[in-house]
Amino acid sequence: MRGKVAIVGVGRTPYSRAKQGERIYTIDEYLAWAAELALAHAGLSKNDFDGQGLGVAHAEASHTVNWAAAVAEMLGISPRVLLRADQGGASAAAMLVRAAAMINAGIVDRVLVMGADTPLTIPSVAPGLPLSPERTRGLFWDFQGPFGVMGANSQFALVQTRYMHQYPIKPEHLGKIAVTTRYHASLNPAAIYRTPFTMEEYLNSRMLSYPVRLLDCVPMVDGGLAYIVTSAHTARSLTEKPVYLLGFGEVSNYYHGSRTRPDITFTGFVQAAPEAFAMAGVTHQNIDVFEPYDDYPMVVLIQMEDYGFCKKGEGAQFVEEHDLKFNGDFPISTDGGQLSGGQPGGAIGGFMPIVEAVTQLRGEAGERQVEAAAVAAVSGFGGMTYARNNRSCVTAILGSEA
Amino acid sequence: MTQIPEGKPVPEITEQTRPFWTGAKNRKLMMQKCKRCGTLNFLPKPWCVECADRALEWVEVKPTGSVYSYTVAYVVMMNFPAWKNDLPLVMGIIDLDDGARMYGQVTGCSPEEVYIGMRVAAYFEDIGSDAAIPKFRPA
Repeated sequence: MRGKVAIVGVGRTPYSRAKQGERIYTIDEYLAWAAELALAHAGLSKNDFDGQGLGVAHAEASHTVNWAAAVAEMLGISPRVLLRADQGGASAAAMLVRAAAMINAGIVDRVLVMGADTPLTIPSVAPGLPLSPERTRGLFWDFQGPFGVMGANSQFALVQTRYMHQYPIKPEHLGKIAVTTRYHASLNPAAIYRTPFTMEEYLNSRMLSYPVRLLDCVPMVDGGLAYIVTSAHTARSLTEKPVYLLGFGEVSNYYHGSRTRPDITFTGFVQAAPEAFAMAGVTHQNIDVFEPYDDYPMVVLIQMEDYGFCKKGEGAQFVEEHDLKFNGDFPISTDGGQLSGGQPGGAIGGFMPIVEAVTQLRGEAGERQVEAAAVAAVSGFGGMTYARNNRSCVTAILGSEA
Repeated sequence: MTQIPEGKPVPEITEQTRPFWTGAKNRKLMMQKCKRCGTLNFLPKPWCVECADRALEWVEVKPTGSVYSYTVAYVVMMNFPAWKNDLPLVMGIIDLDDGARMYGQVTGCSPEEVYIGMRVAAYFEDIGSDAAIPKFRPA
């Protein structure tokens, strides 16, 4: 599958914090907007997707039956194949893998993949608690909500406390990741929080769920993103700058150790990333830019380890020894990441690493351009487990040469 | 369109989960044990996650264990506003001596006193008329 498909266009709408007086857009509007941007970028029209593939990431605000088909109806596209991903922040990367398989099998030649969500404007039962079945009903809620578990902040905090117990790390190491991503956001007009902050400001930001600080937490936004993937043959006819899928790896519900008592400091990337590197035929030294799933600095640091950029437990030292800026020796989250860029719902943030990697590999990243970026590693990471790490881990290696 | 709920959340009790809630109401910690391989499954599962046997039997487990990890919540997030009165709230992942792992609030000491490996024992607090939850305090 190496180099058999390529991304030929990406789109990212402006994000919104849905402040008073702002025009509020619906999910359908954001989807059309993101698709419009990606189509323009690729030089394609929506009619090019009749008889082809259409992919949609599950949005929390949408609970209609056969929603992906409803989106096709809203957009006036008649696809042959519908993809719908419900892997949270791994959805975008998972659909890239599914689209690649569909294209490689000759079922379709191209797939338009979209995601949008409006977490700030959907009905809520309480602040930060959207009124959606998966949040407030069912087994997972019943054994967490009534116990007092406070959502993602607490769940990642539990991973972080355990990490701090097992390995050497200081708050400054996570702070360096947060400060760097904010710096990158200051160079990206599309990011939602663009004013740089210092290490001191990071350390002084208030604890929301010890050891997770305010500046460790991803801010929610309304927004949408899209990308278009085609066969390599079609890609070369459309653009001089296709971004090829060189390799991928994926695992859901990974346990490190026993199923009842796994080590929660590990993620499924210890399995997914080596598979992706092997398929791509690249080593860690070949990675010019790393776009991890970056909703919390701890998650970023764990990915550095689980991808094998350093050994387990040496993430803090790795962060200390490397310059994480776009012009440094190990550039990460060059768009400002979700941490400063904003997360358009828990299921859509996973489009951002792909969209930014494509932007970098095409040399279209403006002020934050990584020089001569040719190979990128991107992550999808989605779904909160019960008292463990995340549910789905997807690694994709993208490159400007097949 | 925020519809602020009153009080703390209570579970929607199903036949699958009732033994846990009723057990807690009776001050017993109940979990599903696999009849074939002996694994304790928690939270409730439709079959044993180890051996896929559907013959899971509800048994009483020892209410003691140790803190595997913990966090101190200073704000209510993704939960009902009534938790505000309980802040700061220490949420732990508890490794029970019988082998299972579960979420549980740690009370009876200040947040600064909680540490990984701390020995804890469950006690029970009624929530609603048909259920109770285990919470943990230093043992």
